[in-house]
Amino acid sequence: MRLIIRDDPASASTYIANYIINRIKSFNPSPAHPFVLGLPTGSSPVGIYKILVEKYKAGEISFENVVTFNMDEYIGIPREHPESYHTFMYKHFFSHVNVHPKNIHILNGNAPDLEAECVAYEAAIKSFGGIDLFLGGIGPDGHIAFNEPGSSLASRTRVKTLAYDTIIANSRFFDNDLEKVPKMALTVGVQTVLEAREVVIIITGAHKALALQKCIEGGVNHMWTLSALQLHPHPMIVVDEDATLELQVKTVRYFKSIETVASSQGFEQILPSAIRTGPRDSAHKQIQPLPEVHESPTILAPKPLTSQLLSAPATEYPLRSVSPDLMPESMHARIAAY
Amino acid sequence: MPIAIPTGKEKITKFTNCKLVKGNELVEQDLWVSSETGKIVRSQEVFYGEQVTPDITINLGGRIISPGLIDVQLNGAFGFNFSQIPDDPLTYGKVLRQVNKSLIQTGVTSYLPTLTSETPYVYKHALPHLGPSGYHRIASDGAESLGAHCEGPFISPTKNGIHKIENLIPAAHGFSDLESMYGSQYLEPTLSPSGSIIKPPTIKKITAAPEIASMMSTIPEITSRGIIYSIGHTEATYEEASQAVASGATMITHLFNAMRPLHHRNPGVFGVLGIAESLPRPYFGIISDGIHLHPTSIKIAFNAHPDGFILVTDAMHLVGLPDGVYEWTNGEKIVKMGARLVLEGTEKIAGSSITLIECVTNFLNWSGASIPQALKAVTQTPARMLGMERVKGSLEADADADLVVIEEEVDGSGKKNLRVDQVWKFGTKVWDRET
Repeated sequence: MRLIIRDDPASASTYIANYIINRIKSFNPSPAHPFVLGLPTGSSPVGIYKILVEKYKAGEISFENVVTFNMDEYIGIPREHPESYHTFMYKHFFSHVNVHPKNIHILNGNAPDLEAECVAYEAAIKSFGGIDLFLGGIGPDGHIAFNEPGSSLASRTRVKTLAYDTIIANSRFFDNDLEKVPKMALTVGVQTVLEAREVVIIITGAHKALALQKCIEGGVNHMWTLSALQLHPHPMIVVDEDATLELQVKTVRYFKSIETVASSQGFEQILPSAIRTGPRDSAHKQIQPLPEVHESPTILAPKPLTSQLLSAPATEYPLRSVSPDLMPESMHARIAAY
Repeated sequence: MPIAIPTGKEKITKFTNCKLVKGNELVEQDLWVSSETGKIVRSQEVFYGEQVTPDITINLGGRIISPGLIDVQLNGAFGFNFSQIPDDPLTYGKVLRQVNKSLIQTGVTSYLPTLTSETPYVYKHALPHLGPSGYHRIASDGAESLGAHCEGPFISPTKNGIHKIENLIPAAHGFSDLESMYGSQYLEPTLSPSGSIIKPPTIKKITAAPEIASMMSTIPEITSRGIIYSIGHTEATYEEASQAVASGATMITHLFNAMRPLHHRNPGVFGVLGIAESLPRPYFGIISDGIHLHPTSIKIAFNAHPDGFILVTDAMHLVGLPDGVYEWTNGEKIVKMGARLVLEGTEKIAGSSITLIECVTNFLNWSGASIPQALKAVTQTPARMLGMERVKGSLEADADADLVVIEEEVDGSGKKNLRVDQVWKFGTKVWDRET
């Protein structure tokens, strides 16, 4: 577990945005080998999207070869409803960057057969070879996506009934009228998130401090579904100071020291290279190259190829020496020596 | 690097880094328009639903996008007077098409061509050309007529302004007098077999004095055909004007001009802006050329009823021509000195020679209103007055993609100027300041 503590929500968002950009660049995505990004909605990620959009407009990153999967969507409200997660994603991210709509996957809460929609969603994730980085936030009760307290930690994409707390919390977006709040949603499961090769979670604000404490200091518990992250090989949680209020001083100091020591030694907490570049398996689904776009002379947007040009060579990162494979001698060889 | 030359095949244009005029606000938001449908695109819907991305993206560098400007009172422009039938009446349509192409370059994407008090001969030859002209949705046609505005001849002889007094006539027999004056075919909408209006009448708006003859009782007959009745060139008292509003008048033609002034014991037509909220308050036209009205009068009118405030030019065909003495239709002469037009030998104001965007700029500098508030007076408000707020004067999805790209300039003394940089009609760029 990597726990990154920053002074305020803005610097936590900046850290994650830069992290995602670096991950995409070093991944060096191509149409044949797209970067698969899982995305959340909610108030915490808004700052992250804002920075990603700025960096895109400044030409620092291209999402041309990025495939996205969103965590969840309400059931029964129109796709264009101002509170739908389609609208959220369009407003905060997709309308500003060059993710092609063909590469965007959001659960359809109006599908005629919701169960089939969920099965197809899991299949779509698999067809791209799984998710490289799942970005997420949590609720004050520790839920990730719409996996409310009590959700199975082995759950997959499915229809989920919302907890009463969530309905009350969401009513502020629906004229404070509980009747108008959707009661059900489609959501990826806890297991779906855990199967991503990397999970990055943002948690900010004092109201989420207890959830953070339960999820990293407590045991794995379905009442705090994010705690399942303890079972993931490469999780990272980025928090602000307020979110650490319920943590033990020891916990906070420990994670801070890891980061300090690591950076003072010029050694960052990085992922194994196989995770960083993704599985190079041509059997997985590829994405269609973007059509050529004509742009006006004044635009500052990145051009195709930018992602390759800007990406750092993989050798920039410290590479661990590879242990030789174990080649056990056969027993009779030893016996003969005596 | 992709070459930034449009191929002419682009259908969907995305404007980014721009501020949209929406109501009283400037909203930082992208805008998608389609040259195929000529409308503003429901971008989120086509993005997710049809997986469409823009064919071209235009970075406006923070400039303002306003809906195309609408002038509901324009008598002529670029040397052509809509009320002047050429010696060869067949050339009228040809000249009008040229005027439309020039007019759109000033940012006016749709307008009501306005006829002053004329004889049936003029109406007969002019009205066939002045009806709504946007059905074919051809961007290169230029400014689009939303229908003719007949200002007179059923007006008060004592408030005639420069209208030829011998043309004025009372409508003694009600609507049949209008039919014989204008031609009944220009007053009737085209109905579908089920009775709904499929094409509005050629005449969109009539300015008349409600107190003359039986005009008051004729108002419902006018409005029932989808024609706007506007109070103007009138001696109406406050009571008469109120009655006209109750009968269906929804507009006042150039408020303050050619009507009784506001008096504290007899507020006149202006008084209806202060009437009880039980009656809808009418829209009203204001000429902010610095000659027709004192800036303070304009501010008072705006603050009395901001949602009814419409800026009009009332411009004459002399817009753009040099100073001098010009022939007027009735044989008299008009003296042009800058933006000022007067009847020769008198002090009578003879319309204006100002562009609509200059009116907006004047109002902006005089009133302290915000830019979106000032632009609303030439976009959303006139469109609502005409019952076309979903189609014109709006940047909401499905409205016609008539746009003006505007740069705000501020000079050393703090005076603001709105500069028209680009004009788009039905999703296609028709004018660019830089080309």
